[in-house]
Amino acid sequence: MEEEDKAPDMEAWERAYADDRSWESLIEDESGLLKAGDDVQQQRQHRRRLIQASGPRIQRGIIRYLCLILDFSRAAGEIDFRPSRMAVVAKAVEDFVREYFDQNPLSQLGIIVMKNGIASVVTELSGSPEAHIRALKSNLESFGEASLQNGLELAHTYVQHIPSYGHREVVIVFSALSTCDPGNILETVKKCKAARMKCSVVGLTAEIYICKHISQETGGSYAVAMNEGHLKEILLEHVPPPAAMPDASSASLVRMGFPQRGSEGAVAICACHKELRIGGGYICPRCRARVCELPTECSLCGLALVSSAHLARSYHHLFPIPTFDELLVDASLRGKSSFAGSCFGCRIQLSGGGSLRLRCPRCKRDFCFDCDVYIHESLHNCPGCETLQEEAVT
Amino acid sequence: MKFVIEGLTVYFPYEFIYREQYAYMVELKHALDARGHCLLEMPTGTGKTITLLSLITSYQLANPSLAKLIYCTRTVHEMEKVLDELRRLHLYQEKEIGSSRAKILALGLSSRKNLCIHPVVSGETSRESVDAGCRKLTASWVRAAAETNLDIETCSFYQGYEKQGSEQPLPPGVYTLHDLRVYGRQRGWCPYFLARQMIQFANVVVYNYQYLLDPKVSGIISKEMQKECIVVFDEAHNIDNVCIEALSVNLRQNNLDGASRNIHKLNQIISRFKETDANRLRQEYNRLVEGLAQQGNLHGSDNWLANPVLPEDILREAVPGNIRRAEHFVAFLQRAVQYLRERLDTDTVVKEGPVSFTTTMSTAAGLDQKALKFCYDRLHSLLLTLEVTEIDEFLHVQTVCNFLTLVGTYTRGFSIIIEPYDERMPHIPDPVLQLSCLDASLAIKPVFDRFQSVVITSGTLSPIDLYPRLLNFNPVIIHSFTMTLTRDCLCPMILARGSDQLPVSSKFDMRSDPGVVRNYGRLLLEMVATVPDGVVCFFVSYSYMDGIINSWNEMGILQEVMQHKLVFIETQDYVETTLALENFRQACDCGRGAVFFSVARGKVAEGIDFDRHYGRLVIMFGVPFQYTLSKILNARLEYLRDTFQIKEGDFLTFDAVRQAAQCVGRVIRSKADYGMMIFADKRYNLPNKRNKLPQWIQSQLREEHLNLSTDMAVHIAREFLRRMAQPSDPQVSKSTLLSQEDLEKMAAMPNF
Repeated sequence: MEEEDKAPDMEAWERAYADDRSWESLIEDESGLLKAGDDVQQQRQHRRRLIQASGPRIQRGIIRYLCLILDFSRAAGEIDFRPSRMAVVAKAVEDFVREYFDQNPLSQLGIIVMKNGIASVVTELSGSPEAHIRALKSNLESFGEASLQNGLELAHTYVQHIPSYGHREVVIVFSALSTCDPGNILETVKKCKAARMKCSVVGLTAEIYICKHISQETGGSYAVAMNEGHLKEILLEHVPPPAAMPDASSASLVRMGFPQRGSEGAVAICACHKELRIGGGYICPRCRARVCELPTECSLCGLALVSSAHLARSYHHLFPIPTFDELLVDASLRGKSSFAGSCFGCRIQLSGGGSLRLRCPRCKRDFCFDCDVYIHESLHNCPGCETLQEEAVT
Repeated sequence: MKFVIEGLTVYFPYEFIYREQYAYMVELKHALDARGHCLLEMPTGTGKTITLLSLITSYQLANPSLAKLIYCTRTVHEMEKVLDELRRLHLYQEKEIGSSRAKILALGLSSRKNLCIHPVVSGETSRESVDAGCRKLTASWVRAAAETNLDIETCSFYQGYEKQGSEQPLPPGVYTLHDLRVYGRQRGWCPYFLARQMIQFANVVVYNYQYLLDPKVSGIISKEMQKECIVVFDEAHNIDNVCIEALSVNLRQNNLDGASRNIHKLNQIISRFKETDANRLRQEYNRLVEGLAQQGNLHGSDNWLANPVLPEDILREAVPGNIRRAEHFVAFLQRAVQYLRERLDTDTVVKEGPVSFTTTMSTAAGLDQKALKFCYDRLHSLLLTLEVTEIDEFLHVQTVCNFLTLVGTYTRGFSIIIEPYDERMPHIPDPVLQLSCLDASLAIKPVFDRFQSVVITSGTLSPIDLYPRLLNFNPVIIHSFTMTLTRDCLCPMILARGSDQLPVSSKFDMRSDPGVVRNYGRLLLEMVATVPDGVVCFFVSYSYMDGIINSWNEMGILQEVMQHKLVFIETQDYVETTLALENFRQACDCGRGAVFFSVARGKVAEGIDFDRHYGRLVIMFGVPFQYTLSKILNARLEYLRDTFQIKEGDFLTFDAVRQAAQCVGRVIRSKADYGMMIFADKRYNLPNKRNKLPQWIQSQLREEHLNLSTDMAVHIAREFLRRMAQPSDPQVSKSTLLSQEDLEKMAAMPNF
């Protein structure tokens, strides 16, 4: 009890290492082997987050246009995050961008930076993570004031020509405590709301009323980072696709082209770089233009170009695997045939303890905690259900 | 929800109740059962108002013998808030027990300025001019004249009220000032007179402190309240000052000049009357011979202010002969004004008791004490006789008469102080003659005597045991409640050292030290760079604030502050301050951030809330002691020491700390809110200051938040703001709430 009371009062320097003091939670088992702490408890905690995040199956908007507004004003140079807020933000954004494109291959992203009272475009809406990260890294300097209004106005002009089926999102990473605006920001917020832009804010310092207002008005979320790890966590919360907009539920046909990869030796003028390129590239099925990477929009005929792999990877958001149920290890059940088994994924013995026993509600197969995480976060297929289907086929 | 406290069914319009609200109800019920007075402190933001209303109205339902609940507030805004809560409660009660049993009549009463609906008169700007405008249209002789002469203007609303409204009672319900105006417009009745009439029938009356404490007002408004009333003084931490102000008069040169002009005018009117209507003056004389000036059935619209003396001190005898005649009385006044003028013309500070003052007065100017006592009533009678309607023009002579009557009536508890100039600005002659009441218990005594239960409550009444001594009464219940918090949403800190580790203080010998000024500036600068949205700063006085802002400007600190937040400053001008506040709010709303400089004991410190994002941090620069060289304060301290055995230092500290607590309490108005408070003075570290803070601040003031320096405070602030920005867990916040089942369970356990 006393320990618990003390925990939040640790000195600042201590807190940084609190997570690293893993040696203190080591437990020696009867055979002299070291085990890391109370696994089962940690595993439950991890799962609780997952369950909270999943909820009932909903329609999700998998074609997203996300505008990332970064605050590189004077406040971003503060060093309460090490080495500076800006560097920490840049690192977190880099992770975010990669994760975003990994999970939303059909989506696009653009970066806007606010500094010196103005907002400027770093990268236009596009699909290549590396290009964004490169542009961001060459832009790391901070001075002047931040203006949320300018940032939102710029984002607003950005998203205007986005097709109606696309989800317009803005994520603002805000280090400053105040915004220095040329006009009335409340008008801009109204405009953003009318344009169905969902604006979310990630704060670095404290709760700011206007940020809360913006996110509430436009249906976004607002969170303030406690530390570097937390910042990453709340930024990554914006990675999974959001629920589809209620008013956009009417079905509409989206034209998409599935371009073929050009032969290795071919020489063609690239439509996106406007210069002669050799080899690689994809050929638009409608106008035969050559583009360098997917997904993108054909710069000649405007067709959305994707590969089938992208569609497939987005598919799991629409049909997620059900969360597995935890089976409580009950003494009365132990030894019964249905309980004796091992993990269906990795064949590890489940009866020994040390891991939760989780059961897929559809195929009734049991899995260990590690396989559960792997299935839900990477694989997006339940091996048990797949084998059931195979059996049915054969 | 509905629950039972010791046999009393309480109707509470919300689904959950805080623990402290329940405890508050229990204590309040004990006091009501004992038919005694009580003193209860409960922090703001815990729903004090609804708790009070809910218990007392339920008590009324159970005991129909109780007459009224009289709820006194300090401002109109608070009054409306109370009535809104009451309306919600009433709707709930109706739902629970049917509209026939839950029938109540509740209304707010305020001055004509807030209630008048006459198209021209209501447009007047000051209270006095509205009153006078109303009188011009509604005085009995004006209306009598209008019956024959159609050119004379009257007020149609008053006429409508006279015809029908005065007989018909209002339908039951809860009426705010706004509702009264709307109702008045619908019916064509005057809302002010309607409300005054209806307080007799109402179950709940909400009005200003003055209506009970100031004898001038309470004499006409609250005269007919029964003994079986429950009186509540809300936000009563300054009640002693209100009591003192109700019985104090200041006379300056311009008052006396004005009074001379008034007397001159009265003379003219009298001589005019002598020529045209001498009969009327004779009638008045006869009436005075028979009895009191106030006696007789004066018409409702004709009385304006009653005698400034407390009811039991008014002499029940005839007006003395030497002022019965109008011209004699005016001559008497002239001599009095002349005498006061002579007294005012002095180079030294004079301090006198009322006894010696009246003795010298009668020997030097032949103004005897007995006649002095009657001045106010006599003037009143004269103005009525002369059919004067422009009473706002006769304010000065009224002030003089007020002074004379008080001086003539009271022999102790008062002192008369004549100062040739303000201590702080000795080169500007500004003579002032002050009759200052030293004893707060005088004005409130009739209230304690007259009513069955008086409840004094506020968020800051600490140290609570001093109030019974100051007000000289014996409460049956004294209790201070703490707040149950779901998270540590209060963060009080005591900052004793600046960024250079030197002590900071507003102590007299340190306050002009540039090091201290710079340290305060650095503190502000660091804080505006750390805290989002609104920051409020309180200084100990206007002159100190002006001085320190000047120095900050020269040091360039102010410019740096402006890079982070806009700066707004309270001034003594009401309109300017209101404008500044409005812009301050706007700057907080649009995310620019703002800092408000204000003064302890000022208007902002008393009545304006800086809740939510308008006040995330409040900094109290220095300890707001009263100006200790003030003659009035010294006289009062002396009196308190001699009469109530309260030490000077104790009282001064008590007063300073309650002001400081009042200032910092501005930022937190509900449990969902959060805010930081910085007491920036090394003297707060002393246990005798710290322990006088209200319990709910002390309980949050942790050991490691004492004796901080600027950098440590900034660090704590950063951590606190990050922690508070995290979403709160609804599960946890439920744990401080009690549902109906919880209460039933508690009731089942007898030893709770």
